[in-house]
Amino acid sequence: MKAVEAVNLTKMYSDFKAVDAISFDVDEGQIFGLLGPNGAGKTTTIRVTLTLIKPTSGSITVFGIDCVKSAAAVRQISGYVPQEVSIDTDLTGYENLLMYSKLYYTPKDQRESRIGDALEYMDLADRQHDLAKTYSGGMMRRLEIAQALMNRPKMLFLDEPSIGLDPTAKTAVWEHVKRLRDEFGTTILLTTHDMHEADVLCDEIAIMNRGKIVADGSPEELKASVGGDVISLVAHNGDCSQVLQEHGKLLSSRPEEGAYELVVARGEKAIPSILESLESHKIHVESVSLKKSTLDDVFLKYAGARIQEGGTWKDARLLRRAVRKRG
Amino acid sequence: MMPSLGFFRMMLASGSRYLRTVLTLAEFELRKLRHDSSEIFIRGVQPALWLLVFGVTFASIRAIQTGPFTYLQYLTPGVLAQSVMFVAVFYGIMLVWERDLGLLNKLLSTPAPRSAIVLGKALSAGVRSIFQAIMIFALALIMNVSLTLNPLELMGAIIVIVLGGMCFSCISMCLAPIFKTREKMMGIGQAITMPLFFTSSAIYPIELMPDWLKAIAAVNPLSYVIEAMRTFLIPGYYEYYQPPLLLDIGATLLATAIFATIAALLFRRILE
Repeated sequence: MKAVEAVNLTKMYSDFKAVDAISFDVDEGQIFGLLGPNGAGKTTTIRVTLTLIKPTSGSITVFGIDCVKSAAAVRQISGYVPQEVSIDTDLTGYENLLMYSKLYYTPKDQRESRIGDALEYMDLADRQHDLAKTYSGGMMRRLEIAQALMNRPKMLFLDEPSIGLDPTAKTAVWEHVKRLRDEFGTTILLTTHDMHEADVLCDEIAIMNRGKIVADGSPEELKASVGGDVISLVAHNGDCSQVLQEHGKLLSSRPEEGAYELVVARGEKAIPSILESLESHKIHVESVSLKKSTLDDVFLKYAGARIQEGGTWKDARLLRRAVRKRG
Repeated sequence: MMPSLGFFRMMLASGSRYLRTVLTLAEFELRKLRHDSSEIFIRGVQPALWLLVFGVTFASIRAIQTGPFTYLQYLTPGVLAQSVMFVAVFYGIMLVWERDLGLLNKLLSTPAPRSAIVLGKALSAGVRSIFQAIMIFALALIMNVSLTLNPLELMGAIIVIVLGGMCFSCISMCLAPIFKTREKMMGIGQAITMPLFFTSSAIYPIELMPDWLKAIAAVNPLSYVIEAMRTFLIPGYYEYYQPPLLLDIGATLLATAIFATIAALLFRRILE
């Protein structure tokens, strides 16, 4: 069974198509990313899957449960961390978890152990009785993830999980998310506009733009689809073009300057064998550099634009900052 | 055909879950209040002014006839009910604020039924109202206003306060999904509280009103809340006026039920 299966999913707001007939599926135990710019329809897709809003047309199921007909059953097995703030900063970390363990009807004898586990797991145990408004941005985010774990969800939805976090806090959140999948087999559907985040975190990515999925596959597949990595090398004694062509697609070759550019699928693997065959032709390589293809290139190819910072992300960041300052 | 035992068991289980959701939301409202109760005092300033300035002045010029009771006795339940209304009306604004923050999305992602969330918020408003009311009650006692100290009557007053808080928070939560932004809701809050206050029997008896105002006062839930509070809080009030206490409480209950239903039906719209 697929963890999530969407077929021709559409969500209209009056005459604006926020999500335009998208189809995708998420395997159990996968970390699946919806990558795209502001207003691409990622958050709307998550909210429809979470049964917060009803789709205009198309079908969507979570572990075989219909999101329209059995909304409460989907919510019972789902955890959700919205892009905005989902913890009450006027309560302590512990209370935030206790509240949600009650709202998910966790049996009384299991509550304390679940809360304790989640706090331990997210490294918040020592600050659990402090008001959440005294937490740092990274701690608030970890508390939000802990909160989403109170019902031991099979399916976890993360909307822009690392938005507004500094690089260290970001990495910590990524580690925690990965461990959830590795240790408990939780299936995770996340949205992000951060190419790097999608690359390090996701097993599979669907690139969204203007309500449509424009490309999908593993990060490696997607990067390979834009041509691959570019190797530039400099060698003066002899023409390398012939040898290089055996290893990949020659992008440019200027023997008189001794400069060559070559496109290959996996740069770091290709370099040693290229050097070896050039060596066997008695050509001495003076320097070599590798430019890996990025998801940014992928996005540029399929969406015809670069992902821009700003819009609601800026709002979300300002919001998070404002909430912290309120304390 | 008789419904099976399993059916009853299922109904019972979902009923208990429903109740647990409502009580959980109110419980955490209380916890918030325990962490920081300064708001109760800040919000107490306005009703205190009504009692200390307006009340004392009007009592001394004897402009309003209030039977055998002093004007401050008459006014205190009115100001109490007004402060309950002010606290409760804030809940619609808070709903919009929680929507903007993301808290509401998170809350709606739990299996809890929407209507249980509405009732839970309403009960939270009721619970908070109790503390607001206690503060004003204490102030009135310090001002030497003669009010009941009979625990049963006080219990009755508390029930009316909770009901009133629930009623006005539901009105406000009906409006939140329609107006949707915080700025508009702030304006709406102002725009409904003052008219509700002045068209009620809070500061003058309904008998003194012109006919058109009497008609409005008759459909104003605040009037019923205030009358029920006077019945419980002013010693001798019931014996003197024989007020229809059951009608007053029934009307408040009915208004709460109507507005809670509308709020629950409109609730989904606040996210869109």
